[in-house]
This record gives sequence, structure tokens and C-alpha cells, in this order.
Amino acid sequence: MKIIKNMQNFLLDQDYYIDIFNNCLHVYYYQTLNTLTDNLIELKLKEFNLIIEGENLTVNSMDNHEILIKGLINSLRFVR
Amino acid sequence: MKHYLKIKINTKDKSKVLLKLNNIGVDIKNIEYLREALVCDILSNDLKRVKKYLFSYKLEIIDDKGFYKLIKELKKNILLVVGLVFSVLIFLILTNIIVKVNVIHQDKEIRQILTDALEEAGVKPLSFKKSYQEYEQIITNIKNNYKDKIEWLEIEVKGMVINVRVEKRIITNQTVPKDYCHIVAKKSGIVKKILTRKGVALVSINDYVNKDDILISGEIKVGEEVKDNVCSDGEVMGEVWYKASANIPLEYQEANKTGKWRFNFLVNDGLKDTLILKRRIKDSEIEKKELFKVLGYTFYIAKEYEVKRETKSYSTNEAINKATEEIFAKLKLKSQDTDKIISQKVLQKSVNNGNLYIEMFFSIEEQIGEVKEYTLEMEDDRVDKVNN
Repeated sequence: MKIIKNMQNFLLDQDYYIDIFNNCLHVYYYQTLNTLTDNLIELKLKEFNLIIEGENLTVNSMDNHEILIKGLINSLRFVR
Repeated sequence: MKHYLKIKINTKDKSKVLLKLNNIGVDIKNIEYLREALVCDILSNDLKRVKKYLFSYKLEIIDDKGFYKLIKELKKNILLVVGLVFSVLIFLILTNIIVKVNVIHQDKEIRQILTDALEEAGVKPLSFKKSYQEYEQIITNIKNNYKDKIEWLEIEVKGMVINVRVEKRIITNQTVPKDYCHIVAKKSGIVKKILTRKGVALVSINDYVNKDDILISGEIKVGEEVKDNVCSDGEVMGEVWYKASANIPLEYQEANKTGKWRFNFLVNDGLKDTLILKRRIKDSEIEKKELFKVLGYTFYIAKEYEVKRETKSYSTNEAINKATEEIFAKLKLKSQDTDKIISQKVLQKSVNNGNLYIEMFFSIEEQIGEVKEYTLEMEDDRVDKVNN
């Protein structure tokens, strides 16, 4: 599993990386989780804050660097 | 290996708990939101920290995850697991053990000989069964060792009992010295060499002889009078002729290795090879190397080599050479006494539906004499017939 992680790190050598798919949002390399409610999640990334607005937003998995959010996402805002 | 634990944290404000966990940098997976609780997977190493930071929350470990869950379950059911493994072992041992060896024959001596021979080969009560090839080898060895006593032998494995069926060799045609015999021609041909050890040669070199003609007579004559009768001995080589044909397809397939290969494992149950892993190369040739044998099964490490099959065609000369080789092989089977080919000639050659048909004529020097016994009455009858 470490090999896969290392390869991901090598291939995705970016400051951040955001995936959106099937009512899911996967954010790599976030710094802090500032706000967490059913309707709003705010993440701090290196250069901006990512504000996710929607309904029934839940965190499915998270660690120091990545987070998987599920729910009905209505908007994403980048606040610099 | 990471050891994840499934934990349940009782809380109404799940977001707050998650933020707290995020602040302390805990790796959280598979978060489930219950009405008044949060269920998630965390690393066992993080448990101490989580307990420390969430000391005011009621936290309980629900389950282990993955491999550790399996270990936990196994530990919980250790008696069942040990019992199961033990019974499988016992079953394997019992199904592969011999409890009785039955030698089926009415002759006590044969039964004793076979029982001893089988015991020497390791086929005895309370020993492990052998593989099909090993039994075949044992049968061959016993047959070779007791050529004069055993005609046929079969080992049948029936559950835990080994039934050995045997047929005793009855030697009827003891080689008794023959009284009177001629050397007669077994084939028509031209005599090329004669070697007389005993008897009187009736033919000369370059004489044409028909089948059953006497070549070396057992009758010793002085003038017209038969003085003595012996069993003639000698060799007569003759030139005989054969016609043979072969049909060779002009197109053939050649398999070339592309260089791509994959590892696989193979097991042989004594009858056929079976690949353990799924075949990863569609058109391949397999090379195997034995790893170990257990309970009659042989395990091999195999290499699947990808091959590319190409359809090639013979040139006319190549096809003729191939057909000639095939005809030679047929000829060898037909005439085992073949010494040398004196001459050969292509009689017919034609190409039909992509096949080359070739018919050849051979002139071969081979042994044409064979011993034929006679009695004095038979000889008198023969002489009478010739005179009439």
C-alpha cells in the first residue's frame, strides 16, 4: 500500500488536488478543516480556502492530507 | 500492517468530534453517522490519543478490522479451528493410508513372492499410498524381477485397500532342440549372401527364390540317398523389394516464442497437468520444473511462454525429404531385418488438395531365411509330391 501512496505522491506532485464524482468530493493536500456542518464545509488549502456548500454533507474518511466528503454539493468556492 | 479498530463515539455533535479528531491528525476511515453516535475506523496506534482528547465522550471499541479481525475470530474459536484442522489432517492421512494389501491368486508361492516384493517397494499395511506413476514403476520392476513367474500384474487402489491381481506365467514352449529343420525363404527375392553352419545349401548367390523354398536343407545326401538328417543352421541374405507411399501436407504450423512469459504453478494428479493460477497468456507453451510431491500430487513451477504460430509451407524438395523420412520409418516397422537399402526410386509423385502424395520403390538387402522344422514323414511326402 505504501508503494501505491509513494507513486501517487510522485505522479500527483501538486500543491493540491480536487476530485469530484457521484456526490463525492475528494481533496488531497488540505491543511486544516475549519468548518464542518451539514450544509457547509470549509477547508484551508495552501493558497486559498475551499468552501463547499450543499445538503447532508458528511465526511466519509479523512487523515492529515486528504478528505472524502459525501453529500449533495451545490457549490464550491475558492476564497483567496 | 496497519491495524484498524472500529470504534463508536457517543455524541450528538458529530461535527465537533470530527473537527477535534482532525485537529489531532487522526486517520479516520468509513465514518458512519448514527443518531447519537459516530462510528468510524481508526488506527490502533491512535486510540490512546483519541481517548485522551475525547475523554469526556463515551468511546467503545466495537470490532477489529481486516487481518486482525480474522486473528481475533480464530483465537475466539481456537478449539473449533484446531479441531477442524486436526480432522482434515486425519481425513487426509486416513484416505492416503493402506490398511490391507490383497494379493489375489490361488498359488501360495505367487502370493508370497508378490507380498514380499510389494513390501520391499513400500506397499504394505499402515503405509502411505503411492502415486499412479509409482505403482506403474513398481509393476514394471516386479515384472522384470520375476519374468519367468509373472505374466500380468495390476494394482488396484480401492479406498484403503490395495488389490493386486496377478496372472502366473505358464511356460509351454520350452526351447527344446529341434530334431530336423530346413532354412526356408520367408520372402521372395534374390540370394545375395549365404552362410551355412549346418546342413546343405541348395541355392547359390544371385539365385531367385520364392517364398517357402528350401535354402539350406537339413537332409545330408550322398548321391540320391539321404544319409542323415540334421537341423540346419545358417543365414541367408537376400534382395527383396518393397513399395511404400506417404501423404504429406504441404503446409504446416510453426510455433515461435515471442519472448513474453509469465510464471504459473501446475499440479499433476498422476494423470493430467492442471494450472493452479488462471492462464495469463492465451496461446502459450508451458515448461515446468518439479517443486515437490505430496500425497500423490506433484507440484511444479511453470513458465508460460507466449508463442506466435505461423503457417509455413514446404518446398517441393523439403516435402519429398519429409515424405521419404516417413516412408523409411514405415519400412523399418515393416521389415525389422533391414540391413541396407540397395536402391530406391520415386514411382509416383503428385500434389492433391495441398498434400504431396509420393510412392517409392525400395530394393533392400535383408535376412530372408527362417527355420522350419520337419519330420521324416513330412519330408517323404514332400519328395513324393515333387517327383509326381
